[in-house]
Amino acid sequence: MDKKLVALVLAAGLAGCASVPDGRPADPRDPLEGFNRGVYKFNDTVDRAVLKPVAQGYVNVVPSPVRSCVRNMFANVGDVMSALNSFLQNRAPDGINTTFRVLFNTTMGVFGCFDLATQNGLPRNKADFGQTLGVWGVASGPYLVLPLLGPSTIRDAGGTAVDFVADPVAVRNIDNIPVRNSVYGLRVVNARANLLEVGDLLDQVALDPYTFTRDAYLQRRASLIRGANSEEGALPDYSLPDYDDDDDAAAPAPAPGKPQK
Amino acid sequence: MISRDRTMTAAGSRGLPWLAALFVGLALAVGGMQAARAQDSGSPEALVQRVTGEVLAAIKADPSVQSGDPQRLLQLVDEKILPYVDFEKTTRLAAGRYWRQATPEQQKALVKEFRTTLVRTYSGAVSSVKQQTTVELRPSHYAADATDVVVRTAIKQPAGDPVPVDYRMEKAGQGWKIYDVNVLGVWLIENYRNQFSQQIGQNGIDGLIKSLAERNSVFK
Repeated sequence: MDKKLVALVLAAGLAGCASVPDGRPADPRDPLEGFNRGVYKFNDTVDRAVLKPVAQGYVNVVPSPVRSCVRNMFANVGDVMSALNSFLQNRAPDGINTTFRVLFNTTMGVFGCFDLATQNGLPRNKADFGQTLGVWGVASGPYLVLPLLGPSTIRDAGGTAVDFVADPVAVRNIDNIPVRNSVYGLRVVNARANLLEVGDLLDQVALDPYTFTRDAYLQRRASLIRGANSEEGALPDYSLPDYDDDDDAAAPAPAPGKPQK
Repeated sequence: MISRDRTMTAAGSRGLPWLAALFVGLALAVGGMQAARAQDSGSPEALVQRVTGEVLAAIKADPSVQSGDPQRLLQLVDEKILPYVDFEKTTRLAAGRYWRQATPEQQKALVKEFRTTLVRTYSGAVSSVKQQTTVELRPSHYAADATDVVVRTAIKQPAGDPVPVDYRMEKAGQGWKIYDVNVLGVWLIENYRNQFSQQIGQNGIDGLIKSLAERNSVFK
């Protein structure tokens, strides 16, 4: 099944090679744009045909408190890797906070069913290994759209793989294969259901949803890594974009990476 | 009305969960832009805090706004938005070097259509505003005599993580004007620059205006 899927995605990606819009220079951050657009289209097709209808059904059938419990339990499991990565990024306070979140939510929150930590003023602080690599100085490499997983980069895809393999409480540790697959399925449906509220907004606001998603992803990742490196800890530190506005030379933007003091 | 095939489209695996938060934040950010008063003196933080508070209150109080009624929203924006935000600057920076190649008529049309596009974002996400939604200021750093500053805030929702939203503001006369917003680390203008140059590269400035207008006409 996996081989077929890989073949399908590769075919989709290669088919997309021809469909890069003409008339403009390629973005240096996205040399694989043709391939990426193909995978993007594949993901979009799968989403419309399968994921979204299933997620909609899930929301219609399953009562809200149960869905909230499912969402919190998956998030709680995810916090374990966030805590590890926070420590790896030299963000010990965040790592300690997140560890405490997991302990609190797993016990008082009934195996993570309730996110009591957030309710008690200890918000979630996500961290992943792609981000850790970035903090360590690894460049992001070309933008990469992953089949079914969506936007990434070469570095972040490697990070995702490491997070997957290293996760001590990962779903893959479940020995009973039908149960394991069901949990995987539920995780995907849960993730998709959380996005239903966004609806068609991406298509409404983006001139080109592919470019919009790519640019937003790359901006956000860069700001997360800058944030982890700055004194502000987990708060993203936005170096101000310099828009090179000739008509407005009287108010030059500050140098990147240095917030105005 | 929005056509059926458009409502079937989804962010899904093309996006990420944070993309959802991005839109919610963007909606409130644009909402903030709608009410920012250029003639206000005082600190930019005070302005942002009061304005976002007022916008939240207005959304919570008006069911027709909350349901995203396009006419009601456009009316709201037409009454409030133009005098208070430097949308021309927003559009000019998003267009980059192409701005000076455009005729004054094209520039005017581009500003108008881009503004409507952002208002549509607002209408799509405004239903995410809950009664418990609040906006809090985060510490901002800038010199006392700065004329180009960033005011940092966070939107707090009853469920989910706080969404950081920052406003980039420029001193205009006695007051301040917002011209760029940052949601979850993503600057609005920067995120439209590539799409603008993509469209202009393919179909020229008129092509970009037409493309925006076509999307906007679905909304009306």
